[in-house]
Amino acid sequence: MNNNSYLAELESRSIYIIREAYHKYRDNLAILWSMGKDSTSLVQLVRKAFFGDVPIPVIHIDTTFKFRQIYEFRYKYAKKWKLRLIIAKNDIALKKGISPEKGRFNCCAALKTEALKQVVNKHKFKALLVAIRRDEHAIRAKERYFSLRDNEFRWNYQKQPLELWAEYYKAEEKAGAHLRIHPLLHWQEIDVWRYIKQERLPVVSLYFAQKGRRYRSIGCECCCQPVESTANSITKIIKEIRDTSIAERSGRSQDKEKEYMMQKLRSLGYM
Amino acid sequence: MQDYLNIVVTGEIDSGKTTLIGRFLYDMGSLSQGVIEEIEDVCRRLGNGFEFAYILDSLEEERRNQLTIDTTQVFCKTKKGKRFIFIDVPGHQELLMNMLCGSSYADIAILTIDVRKSIEKQTKRHMFILKFLGVEQVIIAVNKMDLVGFDETVYERAKERIAAFFKKIQIKPKYFIPISANQGENLVKRSKKMDWYKGLSLAEGLNSCRRLQASGSFRLPIQDIYYLHKEKVAIGRIISGRIKKGDKVTVLPINRECRIDTIKIFNKNYSAAKCPQGIGLVLDDMSDLKRGQVICKPQLPEVTREISARIFCTHSLNRKGPLRFNCATQDVAVRIKQVNGVWDTLGAQPRPKEEALKKNNLSEVIIVSRKPVTVEKFSGSSGLGRFVLKNNKEICAVGIIP
Repeated sequence: MNNNSYLAELESRSIYIIREAYHKYRDNLAILWSMGKDSTSLVQLVRKAFFGDVPIPVIHIDTTFKFRQIYEFRYKYAKKWKLRLIIAKNDIALKKGISPEKGRFNCCAALKTEALKQVVNKHKFKALLVAIRRDEHAIRAKERYFSLRDNEFRWNYQKQPLELWAEYYKAEEKAGAHLRIHPLLHWQEIDVWRYIKQERLPVVSLYFAQKGRRYRSIGCECCCQPVESTANSITKIIKEIRDTSIAERSGRSQDKEKEYMMQKLRSLGYM
Repeated sequence: MQDYLNIVVTGEIDSGKTTLIGRFLYDMGSLSQGVIEEIEDVCRRLGNGFEFAYILDSLEEERRNQLTIDTTQVFCKTKKGKRFIFIDVPGHQELLMNMLCGSSYADIAILTIDVRKSIEKQTKRHMFILKFLGVEQVIIAVNKMDLVGFDETVYERAKERIAAFFKKIQIKPKYFIPISANQGENLVKRSKKMDWYKGLSLAEGLNSCRRLQASGSFRLPIQDIYYLHKEKVAIGRIISGRIKKGDKVTVLPINRECRIDTIKIFNKNYSAAKCPQGIGLVLDDMSDLKRGQVICKPQLPEVTREISARIFCTHSLNRKGPLRFNCATQDVAVRIKQVNGVWDTLGAQPRPKEEALKKNNLSEVIIVSRKPVTVEKFSGSSGLGRFVLKNNKEICAVGIIP
């Protein structure tokens, strides 16, 4: 089995799920785009699913603490790909001066989860395409492709519905609730990079090593740590990931800090 | 790029399913340093020794109760040989639905059995479900050999018991492997403590297994209709076979013969396409095309209003009530006309019974639909041979067409 046919299988399943989501939700569907490698790949999959067009709005949950390079990337490619961009900020919390120094859990909850709630309610979205993957975190490995959040955005991880062959699923939301749809769930980090290479996708420059360090996962400037690396090209990144034993999100604070922080954040509506 | 294999690990509660996967990943060098440190830390706090199962049992509730609740998938990095994707499923009976969910993605199964025990109820159920789903490559991992002093006689006796059971359900296990999941014996390397065993290690056994591949005639269930620059295009994923421009195809169930004018992928037109691509098709006659129809060539599936099937109920079914039949992208109203039999044991044939379709029962039924549906015989990975029944938008049964 060669590289291309494996990626073709991953891609085909993702595109099928994206088209299912669109069939079901049309105007009530949006994509979450963080400008990271995964959600940028998701945007590409959406473009491919709809023959070059992105027919649904693209949401950026903007904590205002993101890296400068991320904002530049957003500006450039939102324009190039003709995205209908919605920027979601929790203005009330920002005015109150919330920040990671005053507690990361609360900061993530307010500036990400709460900002997401506000934008979902305002635009009455019923489903969101989210680029999480099983291999990122053991909690995310338990996810379904179609995953319900109640009106409080809670995830009932103890009672998830039956899904079969990524083909039969439950896509019914009750009033006020919404669905998280995860077209990249079955991808691994290395697959994403191989796909970026194959599709010649642009990525934020932070992923490439400078002065012996690079970011493997990007988000807010204050909560991301670079890892030691000399990988300054996509080919070198692929090689590095193949050989490393360091976790992808090892530089992300919300994943460890305290045991089960990720589980708690996610059960309250975090991505 | 390596070939890969989806492996579901099943077995009784406490037979060591999750431990097996955790230890296997550890021995393969597939775990990140962060994961090992986190687990060491949690184990210290909970006052346990290093617990391999925690690598997968990530929920607080799972770790506290030492029990897998939901299915999960982990990827095993390998330097050579295949790339393994392990699917962990819960052993508890109430969680059978999560087991079913995980197993639907499997190419092969590892069954863990405690060497000191015989085949129990849940193992029977799991094997039954796997056979039902078409997962017929099974490796038997006879576990906890460390607790019987790695004794060959104890193993041989267990093996005989297990073999007798598999003969009854008509599955021929690929391998029997004596292991200690906890100590990593015979997982990645052959065990020195069991030098009497001359067979393969688990890793070697897995490497010799094959993936289930879709094969056969061209099938494309229409998923949607898009208008691209005002042109009507039928959208769908090729679930088997291949096509090229100019091919004659049949659209079912409306039984219309058409020719393929254009094959679209992303922003280009192509002269050919094959499984598993998701494509857009323009046929010479696009009228009346809609989701749920199937574009086929050259052998055609069956178009029928009466479906003979085996169903596994995930909820109790009201026999008289209306149901939805979902098969690939088809969604039609159906009802159960007749129950021909219910399996209550693991016999080859169901017992003739006229009774309610209870949760976790496997039954042979006749389903009638209001409109014709396009189906074919189930063959392991055939998309038109498997289906679900929905009641109030909830999946209440999984079915195959034998």
